[in-house]
Formats: sequence, structure tokens, C-alpha cells
Amino acid sequence: MFGYYVSLALRSLRGTPVLSALMVAAIAVGVGASMTTLTLNYMMSQNALQHKDDRLYAVQLDSWAPEKAYQNDTQMPWELTYRDAQALLRSDIPSRQVAMHRWGATVSQENSELRPFTAQIRVTTRDFFALFDIPFIYGNTWHKSSDQNPTREVVLSKKTNEKLFNGENSVGRSINLNGEPFTVVGVIEHWNPTPKVYDLNNGAFKNSEEIYMPFGLHRQLQIYSWGNLNGWKSEDISNYEDLLNSHYVWVQYWVELDNEKKKHDYENFLAAYIETQKTKGYFPRPLKFGLTRPSEWLVVNEVLSDDNRILGWLSLAFLLVCVVNAVALLLAKFLRKAPEAGVRRALGASRKAIFSQHLIESGCIGLIGGVMGILLTLLGLSLIRTLQMGRLDQIASMDWVMMLAAIGLAILASLLAGIYPAWRISNTNPSVYLKTQ
Amino acid sequence: MLKMHNIRKSFRTDTIETHALRDFNLEVSEGEFVSVTGPSGSGKTTFLNIAGLLETPTGGQYLLDGQDVSGLNDRERSRLRNEKIGFIFQGFNLIPDLNLFDNIDVPLRYRGFNAKERKKRIEKSLEQVGLAARAKHLPAQLSGGQQQRVAIARALAGEPRFLLADEPTGNLDSLMARQVMELLEFINEWGTTIVMVTHDPDLARRAHRNIQIVDGQVSDLHQNALGNEAATA
Repeated sequence: MFGYYVSLALRSLRGTPVLSALMVAAIAVGVGASMTTLTLNYMMSQNALQHKDDRLYAVQLDSWAPEKAYQNDTQMPWELTYRDAQALLRSDIPSRQVAMHRWGATVSQENSELRPFTAQIRVTTRDFFALFDIPFIYGNTWHKSSDQNPTREVVLSKKTNEKLFNGENSVGRSINLNGEPFTVVGVIEHWNPTPKVYDLNNGAFKNSEEIYMPFGLHRQLQIYSWGNLNGWKSEDISNYEDLLNSHYVWVQYWVELDNEKKKHDYENFLAAYIETQKTKGYFPRPLKFGLTRPSEWLVVNEVLSDDNRILGWLSLAFLLVCVVNAVALLLAKFLRKAPEAGVRRALGASRKAIFSQHLIESGCIGLIGGVMGILLTLLGLSLIRTLQMGRLDQIASMDWVMMLAAIGLAILASLLAGIYPAWRISNTNPSVYLKTQ
Repeated sequence: MLKMHNIRKSFRTDTIETHALRDFNLEVSEGEFVSVTGPSGSGKTTFLNIAGLLETPTGGQYLLDGQDVSGLNDRERSRLRNEKIGFIFQGFNLIPDLNLFDNIDVPLRYRGFNAKERKKRIEKSLEQVGLAARAKHLPAQLSGGQQQRVAIARALAGEPRFLLADEPTGNLDSLMARQVMELLEFINEWGTTIVMVTHDPDLARRAHRNIQIVDGQVSDLHQNALGNEAATA
């Protein structure tokens, strides 16, 4: 009977085009508005490291001021001092560990017509690629010794390799960063996690870096972070070495711990490290450190803010208003068809059959409304991309999951809207209409 | 075929209780053609609605084809209505946006017949009422008499044993009315039991038996001449 009810529904919709269009519009506008907001929230909630959520941890050490916390009453600094990062790198407990920060430089090529351009660079240890599961197209990461010793090597993103070398295998070839020559040792696949879970301090929705270079180059190139540089006391910094030994926090740190035992061992290691540092006058606050999984890292960094959540609820409230409108329209439409329902009852349709027929008609309205809602959502997201001038390009887009969710939401909304009108018409006394028709 | 014993039906509002049927007793045998007459408001339509399982009586016992229907739920009553009862209404009650084929298809859908069986039955019933060539026409494209014939075809398609007709000729001119009445008589001759409500004494006389309802009760039962002739034949 399902197919029969669908054919009756389509016939009914064609029979009352204006009323049907109003109902579809009510559902479509509600779904479009709510899905625009929900899509943004959904994309903001994505965890690109979900598959390693049980092994990866962002490391925090509370090296902040003695009299107050970094933020609020409890928050630790998001980043480490260079000195602490170097100390942690000496641990052999993590199977992989990454110290890193954002940087940038002018890229150019010898004997090339390509105009020099500024590239976003990640200065990092070699484990970055393995820890975050980034596959290589050509070559590989640099040698471990480059994490401590200056080696002028780089890994390029796929896009940068296409820009500089037309996508060819560029391993062994040379590029200039700020005029200094660097050798390409690897090219990675396209990798652009959104939100940028590994670096939420410098814009959660920015693109991944174009070039990656070894952490051991700091002293030689005197690399200053292009990200945050925060300190809690005034320090006399007269040269680069002073910065490296300062209280300033600017190095992001991630570890991969394969099991609970390793995590426990690492916690002991961090506690012992802080205790040791306290004896040297560092870490004036009570002993505190953090090992935070990627999923929790997204939450504590408030990638999806309370404002976004409230907007999500408001959009659903708007959908509810649209559903209430659809209820009124459906009631008008169905009750106009009450005589036909009376005839069907006389010919053998049960109340349940009449209810099902009309609920399926509501569902068909929802399906059409859902498709229209997707178009409105795409329009809304496109508007957001335009207004945000590229800042939200990564998240203001709809994937198949959200498209299916839009259809599902529309059908659910229309079924909810249809329950009362369908119940009303299935419970009317058929004999009233049979005599008066 | 139909047996009603002390059937009561009352409608209650906040201030008034109206008794549409009171101690209503009637038996209709298989193959009978019974006409029901009575003044407006006497309870004819209420009787027909109860007989057709569209309404439930307030009290009394109703046996349809030997089955007590008082304890049946909506689904069982609907199935019984679909399988055993055919309806013909004064206003035809065809669904205006369905063509003749699809109109006749309605009760067969609820019966659960497959497409092939439905098609066979629809074509046969349309042929029986002489409208086989108009299957794809909409009701509005037919005359009143033709529409009533389609309604009869729809009632016949399920091969019911019991046909309830509520003033089937009330909206037709005399020529059309005669044609429809002849068709009903023909159907009755095949063995279908018919109960027909009518205001027309001439049509009432053509039934085997006429009952008159006054103030919700059967006030008069008599064999018609036609019925007597049929009985003696």
C-alpha cells in the first residue's frame, strides 16, 4: 500500500498546487535556516584525529604566574616554553612526539619565472607526519637528528609542490626561503583537517601549512613564532637565546602514547620534570599538567562556542515555528479532503489506513521540502562564505551526511506536522460526509 | 443475511438526547431486495449507517451474515465492510480527481488484491454497467446516470453479498432512475442482497419487501406484489 499512498499523495499535491507550495515552502525555509546553522556547528565539531583519539594527547604544563592562572581560575597555558619543549623531547616514553609552531617565509626559486610569495610554514619535529597520519606522495620526513641540529630541508604540501614543481617528484630539488636554499625531502598528500585540531591557537579554521621544516633550525635562522607568544612576567630579552630560555610560551606539543601504561608513565615523567624545575625556581604554581585527547582539546578550546550552540537551538526553534505553520496548512488541506476520506472509509479503509495515507502525504511534502531546504542551505552557506570573505570556507560547506540529515530532518518535521491533521481526518465520522457530499 | 434485534442509537448533546433508532428489529434474508421508506428524520440513514458498519449502535444486537459485529474493532469492521458490503449513495460519492478505473480500484486496494486481479475485476464491473470504454474518463465527464452506474460498478467489483443503497436514484431524472433501478434488480437476480432507502413509492414497490421506519422504529412490514410474485414463481 505504500506505493499506492505515495501515488495518492503526489496526485493530491498536484491537485492543490498553491497550498502544497506553501507547505513545502514552510518546511524548506525551516530546514534551510536550521541546517545552515547546524551544518556550521557540525563542521566545527568534526575531529579529524578521531581515529587516533585514544592515543594522541596535547600536552600542557602549568608554568604560569604564581598568583593567577593563565585563563579563568584553572586554565593552563595552551603552549609550552621552548626550554620545556626541548626537555620533553628527551623523553623516550611517547612512541611519537611533536614540538611545533607556526611560521612564515618568502618562497622563491632560482631560474624560475614564478614570483616570490609568502608561505605559511610549520616548524616541527619529524614525527609530525607519522603522529598525525599524513601520507607522503614523494620522499619522506627528515632525519631525527634534524630535530636538534640545523638541517636545511623541507617537506612541501601537495599544493605547494604543484605550484613550484608542477606536481612532479621534487625530492632533492631546491627552493629558497627568505633567500636561503632548502632541499625538498618529501611531498605530502593533501591534508587539511577542519577544524585545525593540531593548532587551535592560531585560527581553528585556517588552512594547513604549505611548507614544513625541522625544529632544529631555530638558532640558525632565529625563527620567531608567527603564532601566539605569551608571558606572565617582564623579561629582559636582548637576543634570540634569551627568548629560547624565557618564560614565554609559544611551542605546541603533542604526544602519542600507545596504551594506558605509557600514559601513566608519561604522567609520572611530567610530574617529576615539574618537581625538578620547581627546585630551580620555575613552575611557581601548584604542580599541574594536562594530557588532553583531540576530542577534548576541541571542547576545551571552545571551537564550537556557546553562541554557536545557542544559534543551533534558535534555528531549531524557528523550524518548530515552520512546523506549526505546516500543521495549520495540512489541517486545512486534509479537512477539505474529508469527504474523500469518508468514501474510502465506506469502501473498506480502516482508520489506520486513512491515517497512514495522510501521514505519507505529509512525508512526501517533507521530502520535497527537504530537497528545497538543501538548496536554501547551500544558498545560506554561500552567503556566509561571501560575508566572511574566505575565513569560513572550510566549514561553510555541506557534505553528504548533512544533506541526508536535511532530508531526514525535513521528513521528520513534516511527519510531526502531519500527525495531528492525519489523526483528525482518520477519526472523522464518514457518514457525515457520505450524506452531504 | 442481516439481523437486527432491539437496536438503539441515540445522539447526545449537552442538553438533548435524540433517539434515532429505538428497539429496532429487522431481518433480511439472503437474496432479498428490501426497500426502506419513511419520513425525513425517521432514522433511515442511521439504520443504513449501522447496517453498513459506519456507525455503532448504542445498544442491541446486530448479526451480519451470522456474525455478531458489536465486539469488532475498527480494523475488523473495515475488513468486513470491504469484503461483504457494497455502498451506493445518492450523491454517487465518486472521488473527483480519480478516473473511473481508479475509482473502482479503491475498495480492491484495501482488499489486498494484486494488480492483475484488480484489473480483471475493474474491467468486468465496468462492462457490467456498460461503461468499459470510459475507464480513463473522470467522473465530471459523465452524466449523473453514468456516474451512478460507475458507483454501482465500484460496489460490485468486490463481489459483495450485501448492497446498501441510499436513495440511489434521488439525483437522477426519471429515465436514468429507471435504468439504475433495472440494474439493481439485475444485480439482485444474480443473488446479491439489496437494502435500498428511498423516498420514491414507485421504486419502493419494485422491491420484494418494503419496510417503513417512523420515529426510529419499524412501523410496517409488507410483501410487495413483485415480491409475492417472485416468491410464488
